[in-house]
Amino acid sequence: MGPVLTIAKRDITAFFASPKGAALFWFFLMMIGLFFHSFISTYVELEQQAPAMGGQAPTLEQLLRALVYNSHFILVLLIPGFTMAAFAEEKRAQTIRMLQTAPITPFQIVLGKFLASAGLIGMILLASAVYPGFLIKFGNPDVGLVLTSYLGLFLLMCSQVSFGLWVSSMTSNQFMAFIFTLFGLLLLMILNWIAPNITGGGVLETVTKYIASTEHLDVFLKGVVSVKSVAYFLCFIATFLFFTNVVLDSQRWR
Amino acid sequence: MIEVNGLTKTWGQIHALNEVSFKVEKGQIVGFLGANGAGKTTTMDILCGCIGADAGSAKVAGYDITEEPLEAKRRLGYLPDVPPLHLDMIVEEYIEYAARLRKVPRTELKKRIDYSLDQLNLGDVRKRLVGNLSKGYRQRVALAQAIVHDPDVLVLDEPTEGLDPNQIVQIRELIRSLAGRHTIILSSHILSEVQNTCDHIIIIHKGRVVSQGTYEQLAASMQGGNVYRLRVARNADKLAGEVRPLNGVQNVVTGSDPTELEVTINGEPDAVLDQLAAKIVSGGFGLRELALKTKSLEEVFFQLTK
Repeated sequence: MGPVLTIAKRDITAFFASPKGAALFWFFLMMIGLFFHSFISTYVELEQQAPAMGGQAPTLEQLLRALVYNSHFILVLLIPGFTMAAFAEEKRAQTIRMLQTAPITPFQIVLGKFLASAGLIGMILLASAVYPGFLIKFGNPDVGLVLTSYLGLFLLMCSQVSFGLWVSSMTSNQFMAFIFTLFGLLLLMILNWIAPNITGGGVLETVTKYIASTEHLDVFLKGVVSVKSVAYFLCFIATFLFFTNVVLDSQRWR
Repeated sequence: MIEVNGLTKTWGQIHALNEVSFKVEKGQIVGFLGANGAGKTTTMDILCGCIGADAGSAKVAGYDITEEPLEAKRRLGYLPDVPPLHLDMIVEEYIEYAARLRKVPRTELKKRIDYSLDQLNLGDVRKRLVGNLSKGYRQRVALAQAIVHDPDVLVLDEPTEGLDPNQIVQIRELIRSLAGRHTIILSSHILSEVQNTCDHIIIIHKGRVVSQGTYEQLAASMQGGNVYRLRVARNADKLAGEVRPLNGVQNVVTGSDPTELEVTINGEPDAVLDQLAAKIVSGGFGLRELALKTKSLEEVFFQLTK
């Protein structure tokens, strides 16, 4: 476990040592802040109008769901930024030689890289928890729902990180890693919506929907931690970490 | 300590290595000499487990690099041709990172970091960013990361590349001082460097080992070890005439300098040399110098890689 943590620690330090770290954190928190502000305004407006118009006032849970959905969308744009350097940069700068000649297995390298990115995602989510924090302080949302939403978001982001690492391991060009990760993640996100169109219903549609990432986030946003969805994320992570391992291992034979 | 057997590697149509075999004994410094593209870096990459060979095996400290990579790599320090530096780290941090990756025990960590920084005179820059250092310093930092875990075997790919003459001398001295403790294999295309630093030389050309041995052996093997340079005080021409008919003397050439002769001997050199010396003394030619003519490594190298 020692070398895994060493690799993770170095990557996290390097992330914050470069302007990239500040830029990604700043961008995310700024966007979420803007969304939060706009949702709160709408929420207050609707709450005041609802009795006069004879409708139901919006709930804090609805506000929370909108917030997490938007976090998810912004993060999909940012995840490639977190993972693009993982292997591509090491290969470009030839520092990968240090990892290759150290007495560690390729899987330890992959795990170290994954822990680094997952740790950063954990930090950025923790920083964004200030907004649900406001809700809890000034309102009374279901705290359990806040926690499951964040757990779902974190698992989803980890699965996307593992995909990003796989793409990064196949190139020595950060920009290529960024673009292809983004492309793949967007595809996974919209798979849910386009499933009926591309499959024509039936079992195929169910399968396609199961592969789509947002389908599983919805479950967490309803306050449910289901085995099916947790298993989906864990399998997804394991699969792509395994793929990354295969890529690293096979590069020795080319 | 290092045992390489029949390494073969092809990149598509290009045969990078062809049946490369050699052995390095413990504590030796071995020079790996070859022109650009001869296969030096490829051999070293395979030896360190960065790439795989198509055929053949490489053993480091008794452990096969593909069968037991972790054990082999634990005993291996590698300085690749492109220094593997993280430019965004502080020198000290970077060396610590290297030490932790190589599983240096926690209790020895500080001692080992100080030792390797000390060995390379990096004390002044230990708090500076690697990216802000000059090329010579960077090369030394890269060398420090290779020795930080006290490896049995050091593999150095062109360690003095891009350094100024003072630094080259420093690095050479350092490499020699490391020799007893570590077994070192270093590659270079600079002949004088190899001649000065190494006990043993392996010459590689177009992916094949064309010759190996000590510098003296290589030089001797190139000319059969039978040309002697003779310098006398006077009458060199007359001496040439007297030496020529001696039994065992194949050829005598007068050199550009009128006092010099080159005597080629075919046969037992000791007996012929005795006769030769007696001739000179009795004839009163005034012997000044009699020595085995050595070729410079350049000549040997050009002859082998023609």
